[in-house]
Amino acid sequence: MFGWTGKLLHVDLTSGTCERREIPTEILHAYLGGRGLGVRLMREYFRLDPFDPQMPLIFAVGPLCGTNSPTAARLACVSRSPLTGTIYDCSAGGRFAWRLKAAGLDAVFITGKSVKPSVLSIDGDRAEIVAAGELWGKGVRETVAALKERGSVTAIGPAGENGVLFANIMMGEGNSIGRGGLGAVMGAKLLKAITVQGEGTTGTADRERFDAARADVMRLFRASPVIFGELGIAEYGTPALVDLMAQRRMAPTENFKSTFFAQSANYSGPAIRKECGARKEGCYGCPIQCKKASAKGEPLPEYETVNHFGALNGISDLHAIVKANTLCNELGLDTISAAATLSAFGEARGRFPDPAEVDRLLSDIAFRRGDGELLSLGSRRAAESLGKAGLSMSVKSLELPAYDPRGAYGMALAYVTSNRGGCHLRAYPISHEILRKPVPTDRFSFSGKARIIKIAEDVNAAVDSLVACKFAFFGATLEEYGELLSAVTGVEYGPEQLKEIGERIYLTERFYNCANGFSMKDDLLPERFYTEPGSAGEGIEIPPLDRGRFQEELQKYYRIRGLTPDGTFADASFLQKLP
Amino acid sequence: MKDQIEKYIGKLLADRSAAPGAIAIAAQDDVLIASGNPELAKLAGNTLSRLNSLALVVARPSLPFAEFLIKRAGKGESFILPQDTETRTFLHDIPFLRREEVSGDAAPELARLLGSRKGVIVEGVGIVAVGAITVEQAFINYSSVFHSTFVKYLQDLLSEGFKLPGEREAFESFKNEWLRPLSAEGLHFRDSLSLNKEEILDEIERVGRYTVERGLVDSFFGNISAQAGELIYISQTAASLDELRGCIDPVPADNSSTTGITASSELLAHRKIFEETGARVILHGHPKFAVIMSMLCDRKKECAIKDCWKECPHVRDLGGTPVVAGEIGAGGLAKRVPPVIGASGSAIVYGHGVFTLGRTGFAEAFKSMVDVENFCREEYFRQLETKA
Repeated sequence: MFGWTGKLLHVDLTSGTCERREIPTEILHAYLGGRGLGVRLMREYFRLDPFDPQMPLIFAVGPLCGTNSPTAARLACVSRSPLTGTIYDCSAGGRFAWRLKAAGLDAVFITGKSVKPSVLSIDGDRAEIVAAGELWGKGVRETVAALKERGSVTAIGPAGENGVLFANIMMGEGNSIGRGGLGAVMGAKLLKAITVQGEGTTGTADRERFDAARADVMRLFRASPVIFGELGIAEYGTPALVDLMAQRRMAPTENFKSTFFAQSANYSGPAIRKECGARKEGCYGCPIQCKKASAKGEPLPEYETVNHFGALNGISDLHAIVKANTLCNELGLDTISAAATLSAFGEARGRFPDPAEVDRLLSDIAFRRGDGELLSLGSRRAAESLGKAGLSMSVKSLELPAYDPRGAYGMALAYVTSNRGGCHLRAYPISHEILRKPVPTDRFSFSGKARIIKIAEDVNAAVDSLVACKFAFFGATLEEYGELLSAVTGVEYGPEQLKEIGERIYLTERFYNCANGFSMKDDLLPERFYTEPGSAGEGIEIPPLDRGRFQEELQKYYRIRGLTPDGTFADASFLQKLP
Repeated sequence: MKDQIEKYIGKLLADRSAAPGAIAIAAQDDVLIASGNPELAKLAGNTLSRLNSLALVVARPSLPFAEFLIKRAGKGESFILPQDTETRTFLHDIPFLRREEVSGDAAPELARLLGSRKGVIVEGVGIVAVGAITVEQAFINYSSVFHSTFVKYLQDLLSEGFKLPGEREAFESFKNEWLRPLSAEGLHFRDSLSLNKEEILDEIERVGRYTVERGLVDSFFGNISAQAGELIYISQTAASLDELRGCIDPVPADNSSTTGITASSELLAHRKIFEETGARVILHGHPKFAVIMSMLCDRKKECAIKDCWKECPHVRDLGGTPVVAGEIGAGGLAKRVPPVIGASGSAIVYGHGVFTLGRTGFAEAFKSMVDVENFCREEYFRQLETKA
């Protein structure tokens, strides 16, 4: 078999056993890897409580990982989110995924709960569970440093140990498995870290075809201003979006009360380059290298992070924002949810936190002390507890990122149809509504958006299962990635087949969610977006969303998906018909 | 979506790439709609309903070149491989179906082919192109295939001559009837562009429209810029040259803002050209004869370089206009064009298109592009005649 190893490491922390098992080839062919494979492996477990010891925590790479396919040295982590209650996956890069594949594994399936804090150590064919010793209670940086001799490290910080509902799992290089609180799932298993090293290589079925497909991908990267343009993300990282979002009047500001922050240029891409000496960093083998680090090697914040610690909390000091980002990385906190929760808290009490208070509150959240105890539950639970439920800017309890839905109607729809809650990366309509890739669409129109969102969700479910980076698709398409996949595996995959796989994955996730009680009542945006306008300027008006038109498009979306008007499945045996 | 369908049927007629009465477009939201020629609309609808995409164009091209390419293809061949940049970058290759392969319902086979390519040629039917997320995208893909097949057929004619019955007559008809004289006569340009933003935007918009209306370039193939002090105004990526309103980015010369992340992928080339030449405006398009002629090279047989479009270090000449290699975007184009464009005010990029300059405004740039294309057109016919 080319591409896949066909092997899964089954880890039972309760019994302390690690066992290599076969993954059926037909499952790999039907779900690819990453998100798809993880979601498929959740079929027997998705009803469990996220903190149930038997709840699996799955790390899965894809068939392109280990080859020099551009942007594919990534993995997906899959489980059920304690923050949202939905099935949950997150894609992450760095070096861990590549080494996991080199250890001969397509996935690691971790279940059970350790008696005492532990570390899972994988070294080629060998895997063992060792005591975490003094590491429990330590920050991410110290943990990674202590384990680096064992290879690549992924670890939780105090936030994960203490069950913060938006705790991350941090990759050793500063990347994160973020948003949905899988760090808390890992913490509940008393698993502090996983280390991996391996020497294996991933074979390619047709080297000539692979080289041609890779050249096609690279040509498209070069032709994409968003990727390799002189103002693009390879140069400035995702903060390249700061200026654009300000100009488009859709930068969420002061808990989404407005959509323009006059001081945003303080933390734009050029400002970060100038002030922090940003240099290129990135995932293993990635040609884009969108991550940026300071001269001292400190990972610098992404677009969502600078906006949310910036505009969303009314903070204009770049260095304070960088510090908040570093603190979140160290504590193992999701930056978007952390900043958005602080913002909701700020509006609820009538005062947004200043930089010093941000730092204190972040620590309090991670250690669940003082106000941090309440804030560790995320904005939805915190706002409800404060009697101001409407101030949580979230969908399915997941805090919205830095794209105001009043400024891009496809994004508005995509937030509510996302299976993991308020996330920009499922359908990712910013790609065409703002960045004009692959072609521009009218951001102030719902016309055609239900179908567009559906198609994009399918495409991205496939992308997350390959596992490739979304940024690659600002240039390349499934046409070129299908070629890469066919060349690597020797199995023919075209764009339509990949979209079909994506649709299968998306519907499986939705089915899991519906089985756990989710329906149209959860596909809601916060009330603010239907009643309050955003900030007008430069000839752009940002009116409230038209609720009737929004609902009409949502119903269209359900019809296109084959769902009932309530957004659920008419056929209870849906899963049994899938591979 | 109905308005979108009407719009793009109109554009296919206006740019004369499709035959009147032989155009259909299908689009699907929660329901499928298809409009245009009834037979083609049925095929469009049946094909699109099998695809996880939003729109599909089926149209008979106004020229029989794609059809001839199929007939000229060897037995057993199933796709054509034009060498222009458009195909290389975005289409890769163009599959075709012969008449005998579509005797019954062509939709399933078409859907299979479109499952991995943006456009397909069907003998006896025409060009079928899919748009993953918009009707406009299907139109762009149709235009791309039309452009690529135009370029390849004329290239093949030059190297292989006429082979099929009716080809010569069709070509004569194309030359004498389809092609129109290309000129800048009767167009109005501002002589000297001011630094006023509104004036600049208005002029770029108007010039973009002229390029398409005069048939100098197809709608989506090119970009336009003007320098104004510390700003470069440049058309956005994937912008239609005849619809540039709201699609022009002001980019600070010192990159102090990244607002222009949506600017054309040729921003760097434009910036370097401005720096190198002191020009006021730049016009870039993909006129077809310039693309064809740029790929002719006397030294191909003995030259060791095979990736001519990006590796060729030589500067060739077409009627006083330098021809250089270079890939689009962050490829070598931004390095190779600026040093050569200053002397003549124009440059051709291998397999790609033409850049022209205006020292004070667009009149010079537009006329330059017309002159380059007219020279290439005449030179093409001269060489074809000589061969014949």
